Amino acid sequence: MPHIVIIGDRDSGKTTFLALLYAAQVKSGATRADDFRFHVDLASMEEISEVFQQLMSGSFPDSAAKEGISDINFHVGYRRSRLGILSRRRSKAWSPDTSASLHFVLLRNLDAEMSRFRSGSSLANVNLRDVLESDAMVILVDSTRLAVVGEENPHGTMTNYDGAVESLLTALQRSRARGDPKRFHPIFLFSKFDSVNKKALRRAKIEDVPPGVRETTLRAAYARALLDTNLPKTIAKITDRVVQGVRFAPPSYFFSRVATEAATENLRDRVRLLRGDDGGWELDYSADEYLALLERLRTIATEAGD
Amino acid sequence: MPCALLGDRASGKTTFLGLLYSAQVKYGTGVQDDFRFHAPIGSLNLMSAVYEGMKDGRFPSATLKEEITELGFIFGYLRKVVGKLPYYIRQQNWARPFSTLRFSAYDVSGEDIEEFIETGIASRPLIQQLLKSVVVVVLVDCSKMTTDIDTPAYKKMLRYDSTVAKLLVAFQTYKRQEYDRLKDSGVKADAPRIYPAFVLSKFDTLKDDVLARLGLHRGFPENKRARKDYAEALLRVFVPQTLSQIRGGKIAGVSMDKAAYFLSWVRTEQHEGMEPVGQSKIVRTGFAPEGGGEPDFSYDEYVEFIEHFRDIAHKIPDEVLEAEKFQAQALARAA
Repeated sequence: MPHIVIIGDRDSGKTTFLALLYAAQVKSGATRADDFRFHVDLASMEEISEVFQQLMSGSFPDSAAKEGISDINFHVGYRRSRLGILSRRRSKAWSPDTSASLHFVLLRNLDAEMSRFRSGSSLANVNLRDVLESDAMVILVDSTRLAVVGEENPHGTMTNYDGAVESLLTALQRSRARGDPKRFHPIFLFSKFDSVNKKALRRAKIEDVPPGVRETTLRAAYARALLDTNLPKTIAKITDRVVQGVRFAPPSYFFSRVATEAATENLRDRVRLLRGDDGGWELDYSADEYLALLERLRTIATEAGD
Repeated sequence: MPCALLGDRASGKTTFLGLLYSAQVKYGTGVQDDFRFHAPIGSLNLMSAVYEGMKDGRFPSATLKEEITELGFIFGYLRKVVGKLPYYIRQQNWARPFSTLRFSAYDVSGEDIEEFIETGIASRPLIQQLLKSVVVVVLVDCSKMTTDIDTPAYKKMLRYDSTVAKLLVAFQTYKRQEYDRLKDSGVKADAPRIYPAFVLSKFDTLKDDVLARLGLHRGFPENKRARKDYAEALLRVFVPQTLSQIRGGKIAGVSMDKAAYFLSWVRTEQHEGMEPVGQSKIVRTGFAPEGGGEPDFSYDEYVEFIEHFRDIAHKIPDEVLEAEKFQAQALARAA
């Protein structure tokens, strides 16, 4: 089972990201078409369904729910399309052997963890081996912190985060033997992209809306325009030609958006729900991005040999 | 063979059991004599008390509901081969004339299975019994189906969805573990399977605006495929995690694909232009001077419910006996 480490700055939306990934699976896993199925490990069910409930009630995950999540296991399966109308064979397409298992490890307080790690201690809250032997890393980029020239960002900057991510990647590189055939997959997820400061986009000379999920080349250029200035050390590490231990696969990029209702005097930001095609309520978020991400993770799982 | 009947507090579980009892009495005393039922005395007393109350037009009282600690009953279906035998042979116990299913009702609080979730070990007999179930009947309370997002009913339904989804995953995990244990012992066993059944309880309370929003009409279709589509349209909106985890069983290696859907409703007295004060009164049919009338309820659906399990009851004993035989072999080898 491939290990996928999720890292992000404080309040960058790590738990919300996992909750939205679960929401995307719940929605796809209950459609009439029945062409996607997933299973959640029992140990993960309590926590992930709690944050799902909170989102569906219009709230972002609270601190108790955040603390409860350290790792989550999903098992996903897609119906093999070539079986088509051969309905008797269709049911066989769901066997566990054809599904991919994904183990997400959440690394909290990255900056503090890396300081500890640099001083010789192990990572405090997660299984160090899971991190160092991981197959992929979801690097959350809090879009509200993207730099704007000549302005102090009230949400803070990414300098420390950039350093911490680079350190983690270096540690990961060193932990692996030179010539390790296993590729490592960096995935950048721009969280809260609906709240990005437009000036940051202007500065990077890019449009307000990123290219669609299928336009991978354009999307990479769009993302790199933001990352080259905001996470320069991380990007340099990933694109480094000198191979030391680990080989980095070309990064992939996703943009997360959740529609919210603005906070009032007494209430925090609320998640906006909208009427779905089936008549019920659903989250107003970038579902296509999450579904594309799931596909990407499945490919990684297949490459890793699951 | 153990079967679990799961329902939230106030989801209509007691009423369902009372109506099922009524249907069992009527259906089990038919001329064909191919269905019988049995219940321990405690359960029988309770179910008949509920039924008696309903014959008087009353829904079960709170005190009666609290008496449910472990309520169970057994369905017995005449085996086809035995049915062709002469009557005196059919009556012999050694002929094992009936395939049986043993139902137990549980409150779905989720707390009971905490231990299993946290440790992966089900040490309490009650939990073992629950998790061993091959048939899982889930009551989904239609009165809590609302599209009004700021109501307690909406939040209750969200919570119930999480709890049931969690329970279903617990069933799948337990079954998978048992299967793997057998396999590790060198025993060849069939892939585990659970037969889920959903009962849409209090269907009469489902609001017209909810149905309209979902593009559904009030009547439940007769065709099996259409019934599934209709019920899943409701589940997709109100218990999506449950539906997705039912399907996801296949990914976990425990098929739950043979789900069936039933309605439960009881007609209540409606006074035009007036909101009912307190509990509504049940409408009764066929009232005769010598005794109370029968509650007007979805009897056909209850018969469908009873009949649905006939094939399963015939099939399961073989699967279970095989599994038990394998388990005994595995134990003997280990010893």
